[in-house]
Amino acid sequence: MLKDVLAVGDSTELEIIFSSKKYRTKITKRPKIQTNEGPPDKFVSITVNVVTRPDSTYPLIMRPYKIDLSQLGSKVIDKMSFEIRNVSDEDLKIKLISYASDYFEVDLPKSIKAGETRKAKVKLRKEVLKKSFDKSFTIELSDEVQSRFTIPVKRKLAKTVRASSKPAGK
Amino acid sequence: MNNIRAIVLIAVLTLLLASLAMAAPRLTIPVKEFNFGYVPQNSTISHKFWLVSTGDDTLKILKVIPG
Repeated sequence: MLKDVLAVGDSTELEIIFSSKKYRTKITKRPKIQTNEGPPDKFVSITVNVVTRPDSTYPLIMRPYKIDLSQLGSKVIDKMSFEIRNVSDEDLKIKLISYASDYFEVDLPKSIKAGETRKAKVKLRKEVLKKSFDKSFTIELSDEVQSRFTIPVKRKLAKTVRASSKPAGK
Repeated sequence: MNNIRAIVLIAVLTLLLASLAMAAPRLTIPVKEFNFGYVPQNSTISHKFWLVSTGDDTLKILKVIPG
């Protein structure tokens, strides 16, 4: 959270981070927010459908299903392509509904025909190249149930990479 | 004349104090729910919710307790 004191009319963002670990079902979490407004406390709610076989999802299959932009050497790794395969028998529209816009951009096809495979890309912002982080983006499809997929985006930096980012003399 | 002024002043002060006593912070969360959909195991994912101060006093966020 950027701010924990808000003047009248002010706003802030609250980031909820979830680790899917070894879960294997649909999960709902309701983090509670306590303020000086007093009771009753307020809640936000997240729902996650953890899949054990991400290589056989429906109606899309992502390859890879996790984006890892970790950098162990000096070669800058700032983008990664991935494939989206429509394994259903209907054409689908793809909408990006949530992503860490201060960390990366997501270049997605707007639609994908039945049976088609399309390329997509995640590109890091230069401001975060010296950071390690775990973020994600979520897409929504135009199928009957408006299926959603969340793709984790991870970046870990080797110690030597982080050290080289320090100003000289420190 | 002085009596009327005093009464008006007292009435105005009473109203001001009453409005100050009634000032209250209020948290509004425009979108309270988010569905991540399908997520692979052993992943860390995140989403941001907007919190808005819509009361008439400063809002302090004291604690966020994981669900």
